[in-house]
Amino acid sequence: MMFIVAAISILITMCLALIRAMLGPTVFDRVLALNMFGTKTVLLICAICFLTDRTDFLDLALLYSLMNFIGMVALLRFSHYTSFGEEVS
Amino acid sequence: MIVLDIISWALIVSGAFFSIVGGIGIIRFPEFFSRLHGGGITDTMGAALILLGLMFQSPNSLVAIKLVMILFFLLVTSPSSCHALSNSALAQGHWPELDTTRKSKNK
Amino acid sequence: MIYIDIIILTLLAVTAVTVARIRDLWAAVMFTGIYSFIGASWMLLLDAPDVAFTEAAVGAGISTVLMLGTLALTNKAEKPSTSVPVVPFLVVLGTGAALVYGTLDMPHFGDPEAPVHQHPNPSFVERSQPDMHGLPNVVTAVLASYRGYDTLGETAVIFTAGIGVLIILRRDKRTAPDEHSSDEVVT
Repeated sequence: MMFIVAAISILITMCLALIRAMLGPTVFDRVLALNMFGTKTVLLICAICFLTDRTDFLDLALLYSLMNFIGMVALLRFSHYTSFGEEVS
Repeated sequence: MIVLDIISWALIVSGAFFSIVGGIGIIRFPEFFSRLHGGGITDTMGAALILLGLMFQSPNSLVAIKLVMILFFLLVTSPSSCHALSNSALAQGHWPELDTTRKSKNK
Repeated sequence: MIYIDIIILTLLAVTAVTVARIRDLWAAVMFTGIYSFIGASWMLLLDAPDVAFTEAAVGAGISTVLMLGTLALTNKAEKPSTSVPVVPFLVVLGTGAALVYGTLDMPHFGDPEAPVHQHPNPSFVERSQPDMHGLPNVVTAVLASYRGYDTLGETAVIFTAGIGVLIILRRDKRTAPDEHSSDEVVT
């Protein structure tokens, strides 16, 4: 029962982050919402693992936290509209 | 074990509360640098409390160790991303609204 | 559990509509990343961890980075459309209706009487335990051993596509004469 509570609350937070990603006037609001979305997805996967009683899926949550970080760093590196390998000045 | 269940319930409910509060904060605050607070609360308090609550329900120790690793990665990478994001915003000329000495590029 | 399915599918639909309607291409790339995140959670709910791994690594990591590299070379916003496209809309509607009509005849999800589970699937499940010396994952056994030629072709196709993308996205020295030289250390 407690896993359902955790999963529902994480889904509500994901909806709120999606609203901010759609509304945000600057691009930084959207990137912040994307970061929060990635963290919430990791937590949702952990809650679903415990809900369906198959704890082998926790490796996927580990992979996801790393992918979230890589995606965010790539976004911020390109935020000045430069190409691969140039310095962000 | 009823004690483990009570502890898990308390931790998960407080983690859920902090997540929803962070989500409401990221919508209601007026400008970008205030919204970073909402993101920060969700990334650290919400994630840590929910994962701690799940740790007390794990059937064997391998699951608990995996959850500790996930928590460690989340606590290291998520605030670093937020910090890099705010650095990037400052480098492009957006200043906080309460900073009256400098003019921001925001509207 | 049905509520979690409904909420995740609704989020998928909302994100897909947002990707199609938004004008700023930067935000569209971000929403594609969000779509991959939700898609991997949905595949986890359908009991398919291998596909969820692939969706996580490809959709949220590599695909986002490659699209950002492409955006650095082109325009940042979509040109506004001038007319309402009626004929493409009708074509898409007709094709979608035909596809939905086709799925009404499919067997139920996980039905043991379905034709795909009659032949040669039971022999895969029975033979994989002695053949693979105790490997518990039948999906990996089918992908890597019993249908290995398909995997070889798939790997060749994806490798070629990756090399093509990297060649296109490479920084061209002839078109940017005022850039730094290539042996400068990037911090």
